[in-house]
Amino acid sequence: MAKVELKNITKKYGEVIAVQNMNLTISDNEFLVLVGPSGCGKSTTLRMIAGLEDISGGDIYIGDQLVNDKDPKDRNVSMVFQNYALYPHMTVEENLGFSLKIAKVEKEEIEKRVKDAVLILGLDDLRKRKPSQLSGGQRQRVAMGRAIVRRPDAFLFDEPLSNLDAKLRTQMRTEIKKLHQTLKTTIIYVTHDQVEAMTLADRIIIMKDGYIEQIGSPIEVFTKPANIFVATFIGSPPMNIIEGDLIKKENKLIIKIDDEINLECPQKIQSSLDNKNKIYLGIRAEDIMPKESNDNPSNNWCFQKSINLAEPLGTETQLFFTIKNKEIISRMYNPKDVKVGDKIDFQIDPNKVHFFDAETEKAIF
Amino acid sequence: MKQIRKIGFWFLVLFLLILICLPGIWIFVSAFRPNPEILSKPANWIPDRWTIHQFTQMFSINGYVSVPAFKYLMNSVIISSVSTVIAITIGMMGGYAFARFNFRGKNSIFLSLMLARAVPGISLSLPLFILFAKLGIINTSFGVILVYVAMNVPFTIWLTDGFFRQIPKEMSEVARTDGCTRLQAFWNVELPLAGPGIGAAAIFAFLLSWNEYALASIITRTVHSKTLPIGMMDYLDEFTINWAGMCAIAVVMIVPALVLTFIVQKHLVSGLTFGGVKG
Repeated sequence: MAKVELKNITKKYGEVIAVQNMNLTISDNEFLVLVGPSGCGKSTTLRMIAGLEDISGGDIYIGDQLVNDKDPKDRNVSMVFQNYALYPHMTVEENLGFSLKIAKVEKEEIEKRVKDAVLILGLDDLRKRKPSQLSGGQRQRVAMGRAIVRRPDAFLFDEPLSNLDAKLRTQMRTEIKKLHQTLKTTIIYVTHDQVEAMTLADRIIIMKDGYIEQIGSPIEVFTKPANIFVATFIGSPPMNIIEGDLIKKENKLIIKIDDEINLECPQKIQSSLDNKNKIYLGIRAEDIMPKESNDNPSNNWCFQKSINLAEPLGTETQLFFTIKNKEIISRMYNPKDVKVGDKIDFQIDPNKVHFFDAETEKAIF
Repeated sequence: MKQIRKIGFWFLVLFLLILICLPGIWIFVSAFRPNPEILSKPANWIPDRWTIHQFTQMFSINGYVSVPAFKYLMNSVIISSVSTVIAITIGMMGGYAFARFNFRGKNSIFLSLMLARAVPGISLSLPLFILFAKLGIINTSFGVILVYVAMNVPFTIWLTDGFFRQIPKEMSEVARTDGCTRLQAFWNVELPLAGPGIGAAAIFAFLLSWNEYALASIITRTVHSKTLPIGMMDYLDEFTINWAGMCAIAVVMIVPALVLTFIVQKHLVSGLTFGGVKG
């Protein structure tokens, strides 16, 4: 087990920059998840750590060793690929033991380690099978087992669950989490699925266009997104972003959303809004609550909108309406029948609203 | 009515099949009968007397050798095998490089290799003859092997490139993170997976060398270097042609070709399609 350190890592493909000046320390036994949309550089970063991709600039340390020029085989990391990449001509057992055979480990030791891995992953009955005789989930397990037997310094997972169906994905997600707790090892995990990221990670890195947008614990990135991109990327449904004009009125700063909705700007952010005339508000669907009684907590923002669409999900109903031609989603936790066109009163607790600078799109705290 | 049409169709197929196979059947039958009977008019389709005289003579079982066919057979085996081993080794490495690496001028090199294959071999015969004569490698197995290797390398590269492309590159990547060098990853993972394809390419290269006539006829003139197709011409005398002997040698040539083609046909078609799709 070891910590992994990236210092000013840059990767260019000709003129195209895939990863720009990335600095990152992944501590021993940490479960780090790199998440972001396609082409954000997350897989490239992982492949650079594995040594499958040259780096254009910067240094990578695994443990205390500089590994920039080391072959993948000398880095002592194991990688699990999206398409499993099991050796089709070998049985499960041979697949698991392959790396040890290459490392010329003694036969008894190979058998012991393969047996351990097989037991951990529940593959005991499948030892003699070829990959083509396995189901998707079983293949994924073998791929993980192959990584385990090497006892690497770090595990690298490249979207390992993307090829599985939804049910199996949830199941394997739990298994990976358990595996991490059992093995207590450093894991770097790449995914584009924010649910996977939230559920698995000790720490999440959200990437976009080769840059890190935010690093933090799952709760941190959810509750305190650093910018609009993170705010809309993490969480499902995505955070509602509403544009507002800032208007000074009788010494008060008012956020004008549309003709009907004028909100009083909270004191705590007013100082950051000097000389600005626009702001973005970020509100999670669960924070736009349909009013359930007539009592109106004086500090809450209230408004009324007519509903365009209601999606009952059982435990909740998602209500869709528009503000300034933008679709806004609200979550109603005590579902009642709502019809299209119904006028509903909503309330928002200003303390739960995120404010973003209109120019930089960065959060204003 | 439908039944009749179906039967009619199959009769047509059978007729065409016989028509296509007729020369082969004639050669096969003629190899087992005396020369005069071959020349009889009208043609005698079923031999009156079956004999293996031509074969016993060819392999000098009776001690008398008019044509050293066994020597030619050995020449053919050695030349075809050695040239195939060399061509497939080079071709495999080339195919792997084209499938896995990006390098400057990759496409133009690939194209020029394919264009080299498009040059009619016979047009090279005169320059080859002069060059080989000057180098002193005319009438040697080495010379023929050299020509066949050059002839087969582009083709084997083309075929194996297709087969390697079919193997996901993650296979070698995972092997490399599993502790393999690139060579070990190739040897332990990619080569076994591409094995059937490479085998097919090898058999195809073997068959090309085995059947080649035009170039070999220019650069081989002695018993020590002639291959079977060239040796066949020994049955042409000034005034007579030993048709039976020629047919016998043809049968000896056809049998291994037939067996190998049978083994390889499935892979060969898929191999050619990979190459075709790649573009």
